[in-house]
Amino acid sequence: MEDYEEQELEFWRKLEEMDMSRSSMLKRSVAAVAGLTVLSTPEIAMAARGIAAVNPPLKGKSVPLKEIVAQAKKEGKLNVIALPHDWANYGEMITTFKKKYGLSMDEQNPDGSSAQENQAVQSLKGDARAPDVVDDGPPFAISGTAQGLFARYFNTNFATIPRFMKDTRGYWTGDYYGAVSIGYNAGIVKTPPKSFADLLKPEYKGQVALNGSPLTSGSAVAGVFAAALSNGGSLNDVGPGIDWFAKLKSVGNWVPVQANQQTVASGQTPITIDWDYLNLAYGPEFPAAKWKTVIPADGVYGAYYCQAINATAPNPWSARLWNEFLYSDQGQLIWLKGYSHPARFQDLSKRKVIPKALLAALPSAALYAKIKFASNGQQTTAKNLIAQQWPAKMGA
Amino acid sequence: MPFFAYAALFLFFPAAEVLIGSFKGVHGGWTLSNIHSLFHSPFREAFVSSIKLSLTTAAAGCILGLAIAYAAIRDGTPRIIRGIITTFSGVAANFGGIPLAFAFIATIGNVGIVTKFLSSDLHWNIYQTKYPVFGSFTLFNTFGVGIVYMYFQIPLMLLVIAPAIDGLRREWREAASNLGANSLQFWRHVGIPVLMPSFLGAFILLFGNAFSAYATAYSLTAGSVPLVPILIGYYYSGNVLDNPHLAQALAFGMFVVLAVMMLLYIPLQRRAARWAK
Amino acid sequence: MKIRMKPSAIVWLLLAGAYFIIPLVATLLFSLNKVSTGTCCSAHAYGTILHDGAFWQNLKTSALLGVETIAISLVLFVPTIYLVHLKLPKLRPVLAFLALIPFVVPPIVMVIGLLDFYKGSPSWFYAQPWGFLATAYVILAFPYMFFSLDAGYRAIDIHTLTEASQNLGASWARTLLTVILPNIRAAALAGSFLTLAIVMGEFTIASLAAFHTFPIYIQGIEESEAYPAAAVTLISFGITWAAMLSLLFIGRKRGARGALIAGAR
Repeated sequence: MEDYEEQELEFWRKLEEMDMSRSSMLKRSVAAVAGLTVLSTPEIAMAARGIAAVNPPLKGKSVPLKEIVAQAKKEGKLNVIALPHDWANYGEMITTFKKKYGLSMDEQNPDGSSAQENQAVQSLKGDARAPDVVDDGPPFAISGTAQGLFARYFNTNFATIPRFMKDTRGYWTGDYYGAVSIGYNAGIVKTPPKSFADLLKPEYKGQVALNGSPLTSGSAVAGVFAAALSNGGSLNDVGPGIDWFAKLKSVGNWVPVQANQQTVASGQTPITIDWDYLNLAYGPEFPAAKWKTVIPADGVYGAYYCQAINATAPNPWSARLWNEFLYSDQGQLIWLKGYSHPARFQDLSKRKVIPKALLAALPSAALYAKIKFASNGQQTTAKNLIAQQWPAKMGA
Repeated sequence: MPFFAYAALFLFFPAAEVLIGSFKGVHGGWTLSNIHSLFHSPFREAFVSSIKLSLTTAAAGCILGLAIAYAAIRDGTPRIIRGIITTFSGVAANFGGIPLAFAFIATIGNVGIVTKFLSSDLHWNIYQTKYPVFGSFTLFNTFGVGIVYMYFQIPLMLLVIAPAIDGLRREWREAASNLGANSLQFWRHVGIPVLMPSFLGAFILLFGNAFSAYATAYSLTAGSVPLVPILIGYYYSGNVLDNPHLAQALAFGMFVVLAVMMLLYIPLQRRAARWAK
Repeated sequence: MKIRMKPSAIVWLLLAGAYFIIPLVATLLFSLNKVSTGTCCSAHAYGTILHDGAFWQNLKTSALLGVETIAISLVLFVPTIYLVHLKLPKLRPVLAFLALIPFVVPPIVMVIGLLDFYKGSPSWFYAQPWGFLATAYVILAFPYMFFSLDAGYRAIDIHTLTEASQNLGASWARTLLTVILPNIRAAALAGSFLTLAIVMGEFTIASLAAFHTFPIYIQGIEESEAYPAAAVTLISFGITWAAMLSLLFIGRKRGARGALIAGAR
């Protein structure tokens, strides 16, 4: 832990030193334009663009919001990566942010994976196109921290984020969580399934799909966890989950297609096991599919994603402004509108700031009370077991 | 030789990085364990599946592509058909991934238009019939993936072999028939030998093309058909597994397979070229 | 011109037509579905796409990138393979082997390696798609270009043509441009088509290197919408096909001279 703190402080110290020899920076950048190779350190890149190298803050509370907004406006833009517009309502999040602060946003690789997000931070280091912020799965947030990819930041609302959903050193914070759900097409599926046990019944032949393979899709892994909980397994042992899917396949209910908007809209995957915020969003998005969502009573498993700021972000102030926005009441409610449970859900409901209509659109809170999250260690064990057993038991 | 400089810069270094990386361990240091695990489940199955799929789709693509190309180019067929087919092939050869998978699911998937047509109008439910040799049919296994792969294998073959067929000039065909040879003899003694070098080249190209394709198979089967490039994606850039050196070892394995294919190709090629002379 | 097609040709072409067209028709039917009912018919999906500014911008970028890649590829490969066929036939298997390497190195891995390697290069090369991305695409196109051109060179008698042209006093460049090139026109066009298709379809490298190209735009739509995804698939298919048809016409006009040589055989 300590060496990362030290590395952070080194970084800020170097920035201050650069400030003093600004004129030599400018001379160098002129030479670079004349044809020499641009040195690829972020300090020089930033100085060459003439941006004031004022230190971005460590704590949101230490600087008035107006100051952050002003500095962000000087930077003018924010680079984000892997944020599909219909994933937990990121679309509205992005447009609201752009309008509110007048910044432009460069959205890259909307369907990127967490691994790709971290890779982009590394490969594009020092380039103006590097992502400023990432939305990683927890294992990647943790490994990214270990690799020194992220900057520490405590946003104004840091204290109200649940303890298990943040890194106390400030490297990442959980942004929203969801539970595994069963979505189904009420027009095609006559008897609504309510649990994992239900899905094994013969009337659902050739209808049940996952959102990809659990070897690469976080949603699918969660599906295996939830199935394990329903089938006598536990967070420490997802074997019964894999067995459940093997059973699903052997009774002929499993369709190996990756469930997405097209397959849902066209009726090719009448039942999907996916995140609640995705399934719930399909409902209004595709009225023709009459899409309904239930949380399976016998396996309530949840997971969250994590926000982190690139340590060498090309737009550090905009990055922190984005972070502040996401964790403000306004930002959190936008996520809630996207059917996910934002990190500060408990705090928001205690202060009674959640509109009744939004709450009503979510499945009953009683089910969510039973939700279980797996620790990083449990996730690693599960992943290794899946990597070993899934191809053999589910392969064609 | 600026070409070699170019190749060195842009091809060798990244490739070398892959090869070297495959010997590194997760926690730093050198190790052979990545390579070693290639021979075990599930990677062994993945290599076997990938190789089988690539060989069959390359062979089928070559033969079908040749037949279609010949039909399009030979005398009697209007020239415009060739133009249409060539340009269409150009697009189709690179059509893949989600759109291709979806197009086929929409056609012969469980609720595809052809499936529905066959079952409601001709009373032939292709998913529930038991076929004599195959057993049952489904789009979502290796066989189904192979059918979909044809969509880009055949066009690729068409594009590569068409110039070679041009070379099989009609003069030769006329000359042969003047000498009294019939169609079969023409093919045996002139056609096939002349085409063979290009045919083999096309076969290798199709093999490589199928071997490294993954987006289509993944969309179609959510990964239940294990193929090497899909596994590489899992370990290198997925949301779940994270072992880049294992991924590099897998790439190294692919490299070895292709190298073996090339070693088989070179002597065959030389012999074929001799016939062509 | 009388049309006297052989029956076997007709059968093959019909079968091929069915196999290739029907899935496109299925996609078309899906794209015309109304959101509210999930059945025919509404063009809203196409409207969404065609009114999206990002669609046109990305299309322009990728089109220019395609032309650039084709130009660089042809300039690099046509003379090289010509030389190899003419003077250094032993080098051919080496080239063929090299041509397979792009298949082995998965794009994911290649782009990380390339990004790493060129991190320090000037930003006019590195930060613009015209520099970095085009060079990567030339590598991707290499196998297809190689095997196409290879088949093309094999189909003509290089040695005779070269000797004849040189006996008539032409320089190397002249020989290449005015004698050889028209004769491998078909192969070069085929290679160009494939290259254009690659550029219009390549996603991994462009997205990991944070550029904005047409395939990335398409993938974004594919992943987030249903009906517009089918629409954009068909639109991009159509656009690429139209681009190739125009390439064909351009090639054909200059092929008038080539026809003379071909007729002489």
